[in-house]
Amino acid sequence: MRSALTAFIVSVAALAAGATEIHAPAQVIAGNSITIRTTGSGEATFYLIGQSLASKRKVQAGSDIAVDSEQLERAGVYTAVLCASDGCTSANFVVKPAEPNRLSFLVHPSRVPVDSPNRISAVAFVQDNFRNFVLKPEQVKFSVLPKDGKEISTTRESENGVAWVRLSSSKKEGAARLGASIGHANEVRVVQQVAADACNLRIKSSRGKKGFVIETDPVRDCSGNSVPDGTVVSFTKVDEAGKATVDVPIKRGVAKVELPVEGRAKITVASGVVNGNELEVAGGQ
Amino acid sequence: MKTDHHKGHEGTRRNSVFSIFLRGTPSLGFFSGWARFIPLTFVVLGMCFLLMRSIRVSAKEAVPRVQLHAENLGPREIEDLTSKSVPRDYALAWQTMEQALAENRPGLLDGYFTGIAKQDLTQRVHSQIKAGLRMRYQDNGHKLEAIFYSPAGDVMQLRDRVRLDVEVLDGGNVIYQEPLSLEYTVIMTPGADRWLVRELQASGGIKP
Repeated sequence: MRSALTAFIVSVAALAAGATEIHAPAQVIAGNSITIRTTGSGEATFYLIGQSLASKRKVQAGSDIAVDSEQLERAGVYTAVLCASDGCTSANFVVKPAEPNRLSFLVHPSRVPVDSPNRISAVAFVQDNFRNFVLKPEQVKFSVLPKDGKEISTTRESENGVAWVRLSSSKKEGAARLGASIGHANEVRVVQQVAADACNLRIKSSRGKKGFVIETDPVRDCSGNSVPDGTVVSFTKVDEAGKATVDVPIKRGVAKVELPVEGRAKITVASGVVNGNELEVAGGQ
Repeated sequence: MKTDHHKGHEGTRRNSVFSIFLRGTPSLGFFSGWARFIPLTFVVLGMCFLLMRSIRVSAKEAVPRVQLHAENLGPREIEDLTSKSVPRDYALAWQTMEQALAENRPGLLDGYFTGIAKQDLTQRVHSQIKAGLRMRYQDNGHKLEAIFYSPAGDVMQLRDRVRLDVEVLDGGNVIYQEPLSLEYTVIMTPGADRWLVRELQASGGIKP
């Protein structure tokens, strides 16, 4: 009882003497300057600690403290502390993100085989001008701009600052531009649609200087797109000497190899998981 | 029974250590009564020093407790390995962040932070150095909820509810001390051998 009374008297005395206090606004929008009110008197030190800053400066207790907008660009919890001769006092406040005006746009993968359903993932993170996440729901527009086609677009509402969409690649190879937009922000990524696995792989043979020249027809996928140069085609020969396999990259749309043959031989072709036709040739013929 | 036996054994050991020091102690007449305790005092002080040092080291090395909840995660399902590595790496990220802010060592942030999170924290440490401030955390555990895992598996969004006792020091003086319950929005992306914190944004929930 006695101690409670003493504490009360001390508090009243402190108030009467103008105890140091600090009053910060409860919420601030990122990128806005604020004024922090203080009470008390005499020289004091003001500290501001936030997401990306920790500052300290001399102030006069009892005066208003101006905090610049540059110091409040990052969203998060900030702590303002005022230390005077009678001790330190503090106030926490939250800096909320500003209006959405920026997107962080992730598209995966950057190369995709044609005609692959739901293979492309596009994720947009909604941000304000200061790269803070805007967590309230916002409408994000996703669009696909094929090389020589019409733009297709869809809108998704962001949830916890994220909007996403899955897309299928077209049947025609080439670059596709994927866009996401909100406010003044419009982000574009390019996805290269490449031919899928080879389809109807066929080989033909002709006499060469040292044996038989085996050559594929132009290698295409099932949609008729040329399989890119550099894709490996495997030729396998089985003759009296045994089994031999040669890996050859496609050059200018075809794969070609010269194989020496002893006696009768069977030659097969494959690319990835796709097998082609089989040829029977005889050495000396 | 077991405890008593242990105590008895310790008592024996203590006596034997004491007797070792007594053996070489010369008689000092008037001072011989307390002088023979001097070596023992040094031993006790030495042990106290070692104990305190080991406690400090273990506190420094303590990894915060992180519980991951991924029941409502989508659109991609979390893989077994990822469900273990995300809370582990997030805990290590907090450990290094707390150490970096306590000791003002920005280099510690290189291990588990990237992008804007690393940029913010590095800037914070540099401004702490400039102002002569340090930050001390007592980490009381994290409830980490995974809320978005991209279809390609290249980014994960999480919500962290953490309880912290925060202290701000100016030189050697504590200028601020408060228990806080905070909520963070976290973005993590996979690196070469670990998940990295790319974004760490406190979105409110200041409660003691």
